[in-house]
Amino acid sequence: MLAVRVDGITKRFGNHVAVDDVSFEVPAGVIYGVLGPNGAGKSTTLRMINDIIAPDAGHVELLGGLRPGAESAPHVGFLPEERGLYPKMRVLEMITFMGELRGLTGRDARARGEAWLERLGLGQWRKNKVQDLSKGMQQKVQFAATMIHEPELVILDEPWSGLDPINADVLRDVVREQQAAGRTVLFSTHLMEQAEQICEHIFIIARGQKVLDGRLADIKRAAAADGRVALAFAGPADRERAQAVLADRALCAATRVPAPGDHADLEVELAHGADAQRLLAALVAATVALRRFEVVTPTLHQIFVERVGRDQAQVAERRAS
Amino acid sequence: MIQPRKRAGLPDWLVIARRELLERLRTPWFIVVTLLGPVLMVALVVVPVVLGRVGDQTARVQIVDRSGQLGEALRAALVAEKWRAEVVPADTDEQTLRARIRNDHIDGYLVVSAEAPAAGTFVYRGDNASAEHVMRSLGKVVYGVVLAARGKALEISDDKVTQLLAPVDFTTRHSTGEEGEEETSGLAAFLIGYVVMFVLYLAIVLYAVNVLRSVVQEKTNRVVEIMVAAAKPRALMLGKILGVGAVGLVQVTVWAVMGLVTINQRGALLGMFGVDAGGWNVPPMDAADIAVILSYFLLGYFFYAAIFAAIGAMVSSEQEAQQAQTPVMMILIIPMLCVQLVANDPRGGVAELLTQLPFSSAVLMPMRWSLGGASPASLAVSMGILALSTYLVARLAARIYRVGILMYGKRPTLRELVRWLRY
Repeated sequence: MLAVRVDGITKRFGNHVAVDDVSFEVPAGVIYGVLGPNGAGKSTTLRMINDIIAPDAGHVELLGGLRPGAESAPHVGFLPEERGLYPKMRVLEMITFMGELRGLTGRDARARGEAWLERLGLGQWRKNKVQDLSKGMQQKVQFAATMIHEPELVILDEPWSGLDPINADVLRDVVREQQAAGRTVLFSTHLMEQAEQICEHIFIIARGQKVLDGRLADIKRAAAADGRVALAFAGPADRERAQAVLADRALCAATRVPAPGDHADLEVELAHGADAQRLLAALVAATVALRRFEVVTPTLHQIFVERVGRDQAQVAERRAS
Repeated sequence: MIQPRKRAGLPDWLVIARRELLERLRTPWFIVVTLLGPVLMVALVVVPVVLGRVGDQTARVQIVDRSGQLGEALRAALVAEKWRAEVVPADTDEQTLRARIRNDHIDGYLVVSAEAPAAGTFVYRGDNASAEHVMRSLGKVVYGVVLAARGKALEISDDKVTQLLAPVDFTTRHSTGEEGEEETSGLAAFLIGYVVMFVLYLAIVLYAVNVLRSVVQEKTNRVVEIMVAAAKPRALMLGKILGVGAVGLVQVTVWAVMGLVTINQRGALLGMFGVDAGGWNVPPMDAADIAVILSYFLLGYFFYAAIFAAIGAMVSSEQEAQQAQTPVMMILIIPMLCVQLVANDPRGGVAELLTQLPFSSAVLMPMRWSLGGASPASLAVSMGILALSTYLVARLAARIYRVGILMYGKRPTLRELVRWLRY
């Protein structure tokens, strides 16, 4: 079953196309990340999925065929990017209220609200007013309010923005728990580190258009095959001997200084048609002593910068021609 | 496809309305205003009367009698009215008298010119001359004394003068000529109508503006994003208007009950302050009148609350809201300015027009009805027009609300607004 099927949705605001013919599918039971730079159309896409704004074209189906809006509301939890709470309400009342809005009975909402507050370590605050809570605590209350009705589909818009590291971990645990309970989590973020840690599937959007989507593991494997090797040498003499080997353009297209903290001395971009095995053989033959030889899997951050950067460059070229 | 779950709990608009109601009922302000409101109203009636009486008793007056005939008679008559009056020499110059007022030795002085009583002038100067009771009772005293003196000059006997000056019993009674109506004092009828009008105006303005403020607050603290994620904007608007309206209904009902008790116990109440109620007959208020008042409160409130909700959705800060609400507030003031038109001629054409227009009918019709100026048919038409207008306004407002609620920053132009209506 598909948790979300987005089919060719487009949204214009005046002359600006915020989302341009975007399609993707979220399988049930996965953690799915919508990634993109600021202003890429992430929030607009999520709002259309939640029927907060209507697409100009295309359509959205949730949980195997439900329409967004009233029909699916009891099954969907949505945490918007801009989020506030009623400052004068008591914490437990606030959560109970959100549960009732999603169709729970008052008694049920209250019991679940209590459980969530305990789970998030806010049990002793439940009678306090929301305005007495720290920002981090308020964010936890917002998570609880989003998930109190145990929705099959949880949608979070930039959930990590503004979170301190401890609360970021709490949220990551909550997201994983939701998945373990068989639910689908769809979230947007521009923080690649967070996405990389928990996403199974990703969708990259830039300037309102799809750049890339698929399983994160597949995407990374494909990117690794592009060929990049990190080297660390035993000593300065080894480095000099290696330079001679790497001068062979049939083997090595370019070298670069790795990022600090990478614990590598040199990063090698393999020439087209060459592979890591041949490079290793050549280095061993030249008696280069190595402390490290590693085929580098690019981080999601690198893939993102490369793909989004390239995409935006193409868009610019298309405009120029 | 999963089985759609039925809502187990209450509908979302009701959940929202209940939250709005409870949040307001719990504030100390609500309790203070609800209980103190009527106390203030009573104070408004009692305090001026009591203060007026207090003013009487301490008034100190000096009489400069240049005619040499009336001084003593005036003094006696004023003392009978509980003034502290004395006659000073006729050649006392006005500079001295003014100095006495300045130094607060006296409140004022009365100068009787030499030609009195047959002609001449009577001029009172004093720091209390603007008080209505001073002018009224002083005028009465002077008039009586002068008439008596002129009678004497014309050789009319004292008891004939007394007969001439016997009080004339003149009163006004409000009547619409219907069978079996109880006679009521004209002034009381007007006052009741006026109070009803004023309370309705106050309640509508107070609560409709409350809706506006609450919409703007939700925008500024960003709760609205979470709310639209969980409920339709239409339910949000309906819930908010109903919730705030319920608060208003509670308050108006409390006031109405306390008001009725006050009116019925008026004599006892004024008696507590040592004041005579003056034997007014207050117009009878029956269940039908109360129903009319409450119906117009609800309809008028919904009419204006929907407009204010839409305005709230269009703006993004309290300051902007202040500006944007001004035109509507101006429209609301029109019925206030037209009160006299309706009160003076409740059955006239102007009154008919003002009580049919939806902008003013909510405030003016209950008053006109309580004055007996409106026929049941006219009442029905007026309610019908107001109900229909309210429905249309609410529908338009819901559209503006739906689009505007998530807009921040720039206020929409008129053209954009028209586009919102078509979304």
